Amino acid sequence: MLHAEAWRPAVTRTPLTSTGQRTPDSFERLFLEEYQKVVAIAYRVLADRAAAEDVAQEVFLQFHRSQSPTSEHASGWLRSAAVHSALNVIRGERRRQKRDLAHVVEETAARSENPEQLVVAAERQREVRQALSRLPEKAAAILVLRYSGLSYAEVATALRLKVGNVGTMLRRAEDALRKEVNRATFE
Amino acid sequence: MRHLSEGTLRRIYDEPLAMAAADQAHYEGCAACKARFETVANLSRSTAALLALPAFEVEARPALARLNSRIQEEESRRPVRWHERFLSGMPGLRPLAAPVLVVVLAVGLLAGFSATGVLPSLIKVFEPHSFAPVLVSPSSLPSSAALLDFGTASWIPAPPKAEQVADAAAAAALSGLPVLLPATLPQGVSGPVTYGVIGHTTGTLTLDGARLRASAASHKVKVNPMPAALDHSTIYVSGGPALVELWGAPAQGSSGAPTLVIAQTRVPTVESTGASTQQLEDYLLSQPGVPPDLAAQLRAIKDPSTTLPIPIPAGFATTKPITINGVQGLLIDAGIAAGVVWEKGNVIYAVGGQLTPDQVIALATSLH
Repeated sequence: MLHAEAWRPAVTRTPLTSTGQRTPDSFERLFLEEYQKVVAIAYRVLADRAAAEDVAQEVFLQFHRSQSPTSEHASGWLRSAAVHSALNVIRGERRRQKRDLAHVVEETAARSENPEQLVVAAERQREVRQALSRLPEKAAAILVLRYSGLSYAEVATALRLKVGNVGTMLRRAEDALRKEVNRATFE
Repeated sequence: MRHLSEGTLRRIYDEPLAMAAADQAHYEGCAACKARFETVANLSRSTAALLALPAFEVEARPALARLNSRIQEEESRRPVRWHERFLSGMPGLRPLAAPVLVVVLAVGLLAGFSATGVLPSLIKVFEPHSFAPVLVSPSSLPSSAALLDFGTASWIPAPPKAEQVADAAAAAALSGLPVLLPATLPQGVSGPVTYGVIGHTTGTLTLDGARLRASAASHKVKVNPMPAALDHSTIYVSGGPALVELWGAPAQGSSGAPTLVIAQTRVPTVESTGASTQQLEDYLLSQPGVPPDLAAQLRAIKDPSTTLPIPIPAGFATTKPITINGVQGLLIDAGIAAGVVWEKGNVIYAVGGQLTPDQVIALATSLH
């Protein structure tokens, strides 16, 4: 128990060359690590870049309000929130009837030289998104996460499944999506 | 051996290396499974085509900047909390981040409570020597409770207030507590040190059921009637002095948080002329609007008269018991910051900052 002078020699022993430097912000680190994945997941559902980035903002804001960035569940939470939030958006849109697919057309245009192909592609995008929105939540989520590049282990973590069940559920979800798309096509 | 399941075949398509040796052996020799695999693979390929989208570059930095400005905007719209008003007398304390704030709060919050043997007939209802984390969700706390008039309250000499002093010598002289310093400072923590003192204060509250009823009626909130055992009993709360040392405190008016906080206070005490700890706890926790999970956590504290509940924002920080300098303490880890709190020789100590749990523990252990 000493007076203030006492710690000065100690400071000299440990030169503080990095004055002002702080422990890296774990939230910021997490954001930079996960942002791309969160956007990719929302984009897989919405097929709309701007809408996917909006969902990602909401997901991280919600995370910031309620979760710890150092939690081992942080990544799983973000990815799960991304897919469920995006599915909610697309379901809301389904209720509001036809979705304006101008953005999809625009993005597909970059890769297509044939305008007819473009229209067909846009129509197909719409059908697929609608089919996705009609699937049971878990089936849609598993499809989106896997096709956004998550490994089976990551899908299991995000959706709180056993990794051994992911293959079976994914197989069933693919089947269900194919049936939904076919149904929509022939209706 | 049984044929491979559809799920196993599906995984082989995506993650062939994850296949178990027995499954691999079966697959190699089974024409039926290979044929089924082709069907599974075809479906997977057509699903990939259905879900395919044009790729685009994601820019995380501008998105982070956008998010940060939204967070700041949200923070600025948030009404000032009572503890922030309480601590606003000290520059740098107000914007403190989670655990530092929690720790300082735990100390500062009750730094108005301790009765120095006022009357021999008093029942000691609270004198904390151990700590228990209590998860709180800030949004679920009843805001009306603070407005209600529970009876006649007074502070001697004045309500507790933090006061900044010039240097360590002045802080030691004013608080009567020795200024504790770490043996070495962790990287990233540097001077100058700001010292703050909260003087010793005593307060009394004489509970008054009739006044509470009238106040609840005027605020249009429901309260349970005050039991006869509590009505008109007086509670003496007293605490402090407390001493706070801040490293890297931002200048007054600017944002940011100190990198390191060391706080200490004499153990506060609460005594009463009639009501027991149990009666007070039962009554306060039974009030409408107290979140049931919070009430349950507080009731679960084995000895409420000697345990200081440390509010931990739910989902924001984790805690674990820890031994510091030979005594039991509590470690709070909030990711971007960490803190420890312990009690020794009738003084509660708290150390916290934008540090890792290991750094905080090393620092707390090295205090002298």
